[in-house]
Amino acid sequence: MRYLLQRFVQFLIVFVVVTFIVLAATRIGSSDPLRDLAGGQVNQERLEEVAADYPYLDKPLVIQYGYWMTDIVTGDWGYSYYQSQSVMDMFKQRAPATFFIVFWALVIGLLIALPVGIYSAYRRDRIFDKATSLSTFATISMPSLVVAVLLLYAVAARTDLFPTVGGSNYVAPWDNPYEHFKNFFLPALTLGVGIGGVWSRLLRADMVLTLQSDFVTLAKAKGISPMRILWVHALRASVLSLITSVALQLGALISGSIIAEQFFGPRGLGDRLVFAIQQNDLLTLQAIAVVIVAVVVVANLAVDLLYAVVDPRIRAARALT
Amino acid sequence: MSADRLSVRHDDGEPLLQVAELRTHFRTPRGMVRAVDGVTFTLERGKALGVVGESGSGKTVLARTVMGLLPKRNVNTSGSVRFGGVEMLGLPQRQMRELWGTEMAMVFQDPMSSLNPLMKVGKQITEPLRFHMGMGKSDSIATAERLLRDVRIPEPRRRLNQYPHELSGGMRQRVMIAIALACGPNLLFADEPTTALDVTVQSQILDLIAEQRRDRNMAVILVTHDLGVVANYTDEIAVMYAGRLVEKAPTRTLFSNMKMPYTKALLRSIPKLNLPSHTRLDTIPGRPPDLVHPPRGCRFAPRCANARDRCTEEEPPLLAADSDDHTYACWYPVGSPEYREREEQLKRLDDRRVLAAEEAG
Repeated sequence: MRYLLQRFVQFLIVFVVVTFIVLAATRIGSSDPLRDLAGGQVNQERLEEVAADYPYLDKPLVIQYGYWMTDIVTGDWGYSYYQSQSVMDMFKQRAPATFFIVFWALVIGLLIALPVGIYSAYRRDRIFDKATSLSTFATISMPSLVVAVLLLYAVAARTDLFPTVGGSNYVAPWDNPYEHFKNFFLPALTLGVGIGGVWSRLLRADMVLTLQSDFVTLAKAKGISPMRILWVHALRASVLSLITSVALQLGALISGSIIAEQFFGPRGLGDRLVFAIQQNDLLTLQAIAVVIVAVVVVANLAVDLLYAVVDPRIRAARALT
Repeated sequence: MSADRLSVRHDDGEPLLQVAELRTHFRTPRGMVRAVDGVTFTLERGKALGVVGESGSGKTVLARTVMGLLPKRNVNTSGSVRFGGVEMLGLPQRQMRELWGTEMAMVFQDPMSSLNPLMKVGKQITEPLRFHMGMGKSDSIATAERLLRDVRIPEPRRRLNQYPHELSGGMRQRVMIAIALACGPNLLFADEPTTALDVTVQSQILDLIAEQRRDRNMAVILVTHDLGVVANYTDEIAVMYAGRLVEKAPTRTLFSNMKMPYTKALLRSIPKLNLPSHTRLDTIPGRPPDLVHPPRGCRFAPRCANARDRCTEEEPPLLAADSDDHTYACWYPVGSPEYREREEQLKRLDDRRVLAAEEAG
């Protein structure tokens, strides 16, 4: 329990520091925050209106952070005059698309990583291992925008199965699973192959070590089938780096979603983020950044808990502190 | 699977295990490592064989080769391993799997690393039961509890739900034995089963193995570097050196009439309780030979105090001593005139050194 509390406080500190940097960065990027909050070229009235809403803009940054964070936490994310929409509404509208791109990318990444990582470790240095080692290396080194172009060219343009450039729209899976698949498969695949390559390699490396350990030989000597040894005995002992990486890569996946959204089109937060940066739409920018930070921090906290679920020894050690 | 089920026989007078000219060579960048290099022995049902040698003598590789546990990659094996009348060498893993656990099982050296740290003890014991015997959940749990009681673990029911790290080293080794015994194997390999344990626990574990052997009429191959360990727990002892058997005899005969200087040297290197404390322990000088380029002649000759010219030129064959079941490979065995002569010389040399030391002191 004390351990959890410690971790929680640590993550809280990380969250505060990073979000503070977010605020500072938007202020550095804006020569006139008041005008940017009001929506750029607007009349004096609007400016005064907005100034009344945000009376703390001339205060030191630390004070501003206090006001802003209070607003964020209480759910008052402000109104974007650029979008003529409240930031919260925008978020509710855009978040699902990004969520599903990231979610399916994660699923695809794991669907690649688990069998490839396990089997290439099991058949180390054999043909399957060598082939996958080469191809994962290729997918890792390929930027996702190249993958996106390749998929558009090779799949979307040649079949009627998927929408072409920018043609994908958000469809909720519970409304129409097939349409959802059509719209999300390619963008998710764009991010999934790269990340799957990284995770395959991570898992393979840990798995190779695990397969050399005595308890795997004992499992073999018990006459257990290789599949069960791999998936039940060895996998669980080899997943710690993998789940760590999943949490760490979550942030990268969300930023990767920007590219996928640009190319394929289910317009989510990434798409909005790009415009917000161009327009200096500070509130939108800040809100999206905070959410990304929060997701990554929470994911890492969750992984920390997951360690204890996977390994009873970690559970025992934590119970002592 | 049942179509190619192995017909291991346990009825006729055939010995349980016949190993002939077994060789296990590892392909390494340095060259071929001859870890096991022509080993022949026979093991009857219910008997216990001790395989003794220094680290690097090939005893563990021998056990693993016989059981078929070595990976195929970069390993050459040849010779013959007949188990219950079936040739095991070269059998596919799928068929070996039917024998592992049910016919032969192994207790490993280090119970800390040999049990799955992430799996409850109960599950590790029930796994082979359900896999091989097709037991249901409640049956297998009841059997596991009984097995834990058999290996003298207190509160067996509670242990089933514990993880290995929650148990002491001795207890873990008992769990490992319980796992090995689960499907009632006819042959148990115990690879240095007590080396990683406290001295106080060692004899308990060995007693336990001996007791289970008697109860189950199970043959045991006890692999150890400690001649003292095997003395009380085996019917027969095979001494291994540099991948070969150099002496083999019934335990009693070996201790009363050992022929091979190496065996004698091994025995001397064990601390004895009746010697005054701080007596310097005899060690065997040098190291076991490089198994990529084993020495010519007798492989022990470079380290043997009694070696003569012939020893480094001609390899001694495994010869029968007074009785047929005692064999050894040595040109000038313990007790031979040449051996005695050299022994005298060494003794005189030693006396002179002591005298010189006394005069100087």
